[in-house]
Amino acid sequence: MKSERTYYDKVHIWGRLWTVGALLVLLSVPSAICLHLNVWPQMHDVFAALKTVIPLYWGTAVIEVLTYTPMLGAGATYLSFVTGNIVNLKMPCSLNAMENAKVRANSEEGEVISTISIGVSAITTTVILAVGVLAFSPLLVKLTDPSSVFAPAFTYILPALFGALGAGYFRKHWKISIFPIVVGVIILLFVPTLASGTLIFATLIAAIGGALLMQKLKWI
Amino acid sequence: MSDFKESGFMYGIALFVIGFVVIESVFFILKAWKRGKEIGLTKETMKNTVYSSILFTIAPAVSILTTVIVLASALGIVLPWIRLSVIGNLAYETVASQTMLEVLGSSLNKEITDPAQFGAVAWVMTIGTSFALILVPLFCKTIQKKVGKAVHKSESSSKTADIVSAAAFIGIIAAFIARAIYGKTTDGIGDAGFMSVCTLVTAVAVSLLLEQLCLKFNLKKLEPFAMPLSMFAAMGMAVVLNLVVPEQVAGFTWW
Repeated sequence: MKSERTYYDKVHIWGRLWTVGALLVLLSVPSAICLHLNVWPQMHDVFAALKTVIPLYWGTAVIEVLTYTPMLGAGATYLSFVTGNIVNLKMPCSLNAMENAKVRANSEEGEVISTISIGVSAITTTVILAVGVLAFSPLLVKLTDPSSVFAPAFTYILPALFGALGAGYFRKHWKISIFPIVVGVIILLFVPTLASGTLIFATLIAAIGGALLMQKLKWI
Repeated sequence: MSDFKESGFMYGIALFVIGFVVIESVFFILKAWKRGKEIGLTKETMKNTVYSSILFTIAPAVSILTTVIVLASALGIVLPWIRLSVIGNLAYETVASQTMLEVLGSSLNKEITDPAQFGAVAWVMTIGTSFALILVPLFCKTIQKKVGKAVHKSESSSKTADIVSAAAFIGIIAAFIARAIYGKTTDGIGDAGFMSVCTLVTAVAVSLLLEQLCLKFNLKKLEPFAMPLSMFAAMGMAVVLNLVVPEQVAGFTWW
């Protein structure tokens, strides 16, 4: 028990240090660009754009931190929020890895598997982006161009990804699955372009609330 | 093309940022691997996690690469490459850069030739996404502790813990399933309709089929790859349907 706490404590210390480091690295990018090019943008222009961007993304950031942190585990959370693409890549990758390894989120085994999975995913993404940018960008432009024969594969990548990921869960827990999907569809009927982060928050509450209610009613 | 966007200096910044991400990832993998061995996870389980995560990442990463290339027409290839390698995501970078350019009376459809505009876009992209990096170090430990307590409490009834854990997974996935059934995108590309539903159904069907095959023939080695294979099959189905189904059917959406 003592060793378990020590590991988690260490993860939080490492995570905080790396995240602060990442923040500095991130802020150094526009600073270095402006210093190198000897240009500084008009602050009122930047604020005008931020007035639109911040309410959109800072609110989502709060929801994402609250939603993903318990699911990903500590190490994977620190890593995911630095490496990005959480919803469309890191989260499903981690869920898939934990499902394959038959470990539960919030267990120490889940913490380890999730961290390895997200770390490997981040490195793989970095390699693919680097190779793609340096070597294959002309080919990829053709491959993903809207007129390309392969374009629909990338347009519908999210239904493909989450359908494949969800199938096993839906089969095993079909009673729990129906309610949050219905709730999600109903919300989209009223707000069809609702941001994924906000929609997830709603379906997550529906899924957990619905499951606990069904258990109380002895339906599951 | 003005070469300040793709100068050696920009590539230098990219290498610095990407190097940071890779080193951080390797650091956490090594620490987790060591801990995994200590708590009794088998080498095979952890190796399978590595292989399946690589395979899982390929298609979404190619999709992310597409965003880099789309943004490259206005911003050059290096800045989107940096942004999508760290913290960025598919939707955010486009919205942030477009918003800044609109304020400046420009658009992502046009190449940026003014260094000041380029710097402004870089700042807005960075500040917009930085908030999560402030929240995580402040609240991650507290959130983890509270969840840990809740789980341990309910472990007296292990079934409840299992149900809550499964429901949480399902809750996240359900949002995307609902979006594939009745969602609308802000740019109109990939709206829910015939194609999204067929892709979704194919992914579910192939996944269940592979699961059954693995069970029936005891194909343990196939198990970690069932999910990425199902995803590729569904993506392939989207390509095939687009080719063979009449355009008015393939192009049908609710919107």
